[in-house]
Amino acid sequence: MSSIVYLMCSLPSLTFGQVPPMLLDEFNHDAKSQLSVKKFELLKAINIQGDNTTKGRLKNITSMLSEVQQDLSEIRKSRVQKRQPYLERLPRTVITVNPLEREKQIMQWQWEELDSIESNKIFTLIQVIVYKLKLQILCRIHSFNAESGTQVLASVINPLKNEEDKKW
Amino acid sequence: MVSIKIKYTKTERARQKKILKVSERMLPLFEAMEKSLMATVNTISERIEQIREQIERNQKATESWIAVMSDSWVNINEFISVHKIITKPTDVTGVRVQQFESVDFKVIPVNDDTPLWVDDAIELMQEQLQLLAEIECLTEQINLLEKELLDVRARIKLFENRRIPNAKIAIRKIGQKLQDDERLTIATAKVVKIRKQAEVRV
Repeated sequence: MSSIVYLMCSLPSLTFGQVPPMLLDEFNHDAKSQLSVKKFELLKAINIQGDNTTKGRLKNITSMLSEVQQDLSEIRKSRVQKRQPYLERLPRTVITVNPLEREKQIMQWQWEELDSIESNKIFTLIQVIVYKLKLQILCRIHSFNAESGTQVLASVINPLKNEEDKKW
Repeated sequence: MVSIKIKYTKTERARQKKILKVSERMLPLFEAMEKSLMATVNTISERIEQIREQIERNQKATESWIAVMSDSWVNINEFISVHKIITKPTDVTGVRVQQFESVDFKVIPVNDDTPLWVDDAIELMQEQLQLLAEIECLTEQINLLEKELLDVRARIKLFENRRIPNAKIAIRKIGQKLQDDERLTIATAKVVKIRKQAEVRV
């Protein structure tokens, strides 16, 4: 308990949309030094993206994440079947906006859900996990960059030309 | 003009007349072919321009969400690549070229945890890659047609500047020479006849 208090007090606060105040590796390093092996393994197992099969105390978080995935899967199915998707959790606006705004809206929705999950869970492992997930969200938003995106698109669309450009 | 060696015979004159006849018949055909090739090259160039504009439009439409492509969670390069450009051989103005059919993509299926933007990006990339592949095929067509155009122009030049004038000159010169020979033969015959008549009188 005291180690979690120490860890949470030492971490900078997070706001949606801000530049991540620390790297994920730095967070993991701090968490590893403060948490027990068992708790750190639990923390390591949960990620904002991917399969999260942890149950028990963390069910709120994992079910929220899996419900988002279900909604994403439903959007994909509806595109193939050319029909309106039936969304369980995500706001319907995610269907109409452009891909960048959609990702941001989904992350904002996840952020708000994480806020409600961590309320009244001060200095608990849940709060640490929520912090990690929020940090992952911030790092992801921060990675969105128009210039880099253009380079990524160009590297797929015209790989030969780009290789020639690099040579020159 | 380089002087040409001419055989002053009736056979040669007939041969030169045949060359002239064939050349005068072929020249308009080559001129028509040149026009047709030029028109085809222009049409293909216009198509390339249209495709480039489409690529530009697609890029502009993507500008508002291009930033998402640098997503740290996804490496979009792993999801899509061109396996093969499918073309079929066809004749354009008598030139065998490869006509664009489609692009065979190697697309890795997305999982449920793959962000949704990947689907949009794959769709966009497929369209852009198809358009670029079409441009590549059309550019290759233009290269082949321009090569043929150069060949046709060289032939037109050959007919206009060499074959037809040379044949005309040869025919004229042979005609003059044959006429001169004929006159000389007649004159010689007359002289011989007069001499023989004079000998008879003496």
